[in-house]
Amino acid sequence: MKSALSIDRRRLLGLGTAAGAGLLLPPSLRGAQAASFPAVAEKDAVIAFGHVGPVNDEGWTWSHDQGMKAVQAAFPKAKTLFVESIPYSADATRTFRQFATQKANLIFATSQYGDFYKDVTKRNRGIAFMECNGSSLEENLGWYYFAHWYPTYVIGVAAGLMSKTGKLGYVASFPVTSCYASTNAFLMGARSVKPEATLQVVTINSWFDPQAATQAGVALANNGCDFLFGIMDEAGYLQIAEQRGIKAAMWNTDMRRFGPKAYVSSVVIDLKAYYVDQVAKRLAGTWEPKATILPLGKGVDRDVWGETVPEAVAKQADAVREKMLSGGFNPFAGEIRDNKGKVRVPAGQTMSEMDLYKWDWSIEGVAGLGA
Amino acid sequence: MEIVTGILATAVLAGGVLALAALGEVLAERVGVVNLGVEGLMALGALTGIATVSATASPTLGFVAALGVGFLFGCLFALATVLLRADQVLCGLALTLLGTGLAATAGRPYAGSPAKATFEPVPIPYLSELPVVGSALFSQNWLVYLIYFILPIAIHWLMFKTRHGLNMRAVGENPAAADASGIPVTAIRFWYVALGASLAGGAGAYLTLAFVPSWSEGVVAGRGWIAVALVIFAGYRPLTAVAAALVFGVITALGFVGQARGWPVAPAILSMLPYLGTIAFIILPVVAWRRLKPFFAEPAALARPYHRDVR
Repeated sequence: MKSALSIDRRRLLGLGTAAGAGLLLPPSLRGAQAASFPAVAEKDAVIAFGHVGPVNDEGWTWSHDQGMKAVQAAFPKAKTLFVESIPYSADATRTFRQFATQKANLIFATSQYGDFYKDVTKRNRGIAFMECNGSSLEENLGWYYFAHWYPTYVIGVAAGLMSKTGKLGYVASFPVTSCYASTNAFLMGARSVKPEATLQVVTINSWFDPQAATQAGVALANNGCDFLFGIMDEAGYLQIAEQRGIKAAMWNTDMRRFGPKAYVSSVVIDLKAYYVDQVAKRLAGTWEPKATILPLGKGVDRDVWGETVPEAVAKQADAVREKMLSGGFNPFAGEIRDNKGKVRVPAGQTMSEMDLYKWDWSIEGVAGLGA
Repeated sequence: MEIVTGILATAVLAGGVLALAALGEVLAERVGVVNLGVEGLMALGALTGIATVSATASPTLGFVAALGVGFLFGCLFALATVLLRADQVLCGLALTLLGTGLAATAGRPYAGSPAKATFEPVPIPYLSELPVVGSALFSQNWLVYLIYFILPIAIHWLMFKTRHGLNMRAVGENPAAADASGIPVTAIRFWYVALGASLAGGAGAYLTLAFVPSWSEGVVAGRGWIAVALVIFAGYRPLTAVAAALVFGVITALGFVGQARGWPVAPAILSMLPYLGTIAFIILPVVAWRRLKPFFAEPAALARPYHRDVR
């Protein structure tokens, strides 16, 4: 699993001594030695955000925008810049370069822009860069994400308890690591209480396409799924669940107003504290390029349970969450087979955070996502 | 049978958006004006629908308001293309940019809140009990009946069974000849372009009030362009345009149903179906049956501004 990061290992070794890195990561992945980023006075500071979607999407980008608002509140004299709906193309390079020429001290990309981003980071070593869902570290580039697989597992437990047919449905975007980790964690949670549960995935090739997500939800419901989950930035399939009298869980934000009876919970992300902390470090001159996966309860969590979730279900699922929070319970333990029956994680082993972040195969019982 | 009904039910809903927009485009293109602003008009209509409903809680009013906004922007487009004779392709693209941008900006307060009221299904007695097609076609909301039955038949009758329709088509085929025989070319073009745009606005409201009952930026997601393509495939005829929209809806639904039922076909192939279908529909008939070519021929004066004084 570590090999997924090997692109940068050589570079990291070349750069020599490891600076303090994310506590969760194995030693070989610790960050490169930081170029120095001297302290900046608050009134001179410029903090920039590049978003993948519109800030009013009520989902992913909205959550990140709340982070920017928190930064504005904490550092009222600092200047903040943002650009919405940056495509995954050379336009991204142009946008981030623009931030650089506007004398930004710290630039956040709230999605993975890969080489389009690195074009800019390489040419501006004096500027600190962060990439959400990134995959490599450089002397001035760090990345951050959050352990969404834990709250997803908790919601999966609730789904297993509430589903009558044992057929769960999932509206996915693309066969990417976030979707693999999300579908797998969801089904593992469900199977912990209902071992015969299966998960059918429909991929719609977009993070945001209300029409397609709605049709995918209808198709899944028609096929007998009585609990829908997904990784969409909008509430299309929740509204279908409400019409059909089945249940649904969401991503990013509280969406219960779209389907109060169907709403079970959501994987809510809250990056306010993280963004404020990063900006504070940059101002103080102590910012370092690190890889951070925010743990359960600190950046990502399940939402308050929906009004139709039985108390017993909420209690049982929350007990699992409590075990994760206090006892460090890791449910991603062997034996785990992939959906071709091959043992991928032998009994007695658990998957590390990095393994989970880089998950790229489906577990037994998940159908439709590809490999 | 259950699968067929399921597919058909989704297809009817999804195809309705395309059908209404395509009907509007048929009107405009038949009088010789290609309107590439459908995508933008749909965005404006979608927003108008949701904004009206959040103020009045009446989906019918929302739909009518969207028709009105579509009409208004249609007049603007007709002013540029018919009266001022600007390039239709460029104006259409400008209208798309204007519409999507304006809707995104003006729609901020409505983002992320569900529609307060939506069109509810009104089953038609007897017909809705038919096997297979009954629940799919005849247990829908009244907009579906309007889009699939009333409008296309009305437009077909108007276009092909009345003298006015003959005039209309003459304007699209040969405006100079039409002008010489006393047909008011400019007026016909202007009003049908505006009317067509109004239907595109209605298609947007159908989207937010019946299909995906909420507003978000990008909710149209390219369906306006597909509607434009469908018109070409349908040979610029209202009945075939609606049929084509339904076929397209079925193909799209097949992709989702196939994935949901775990058919042993790669999801990527299933998601490709609508696009493969579009290519096949446009190329196959013309290549396979050359005699059909005249059926698919575009109005001869399509996209050409008419100048009475220049020949």
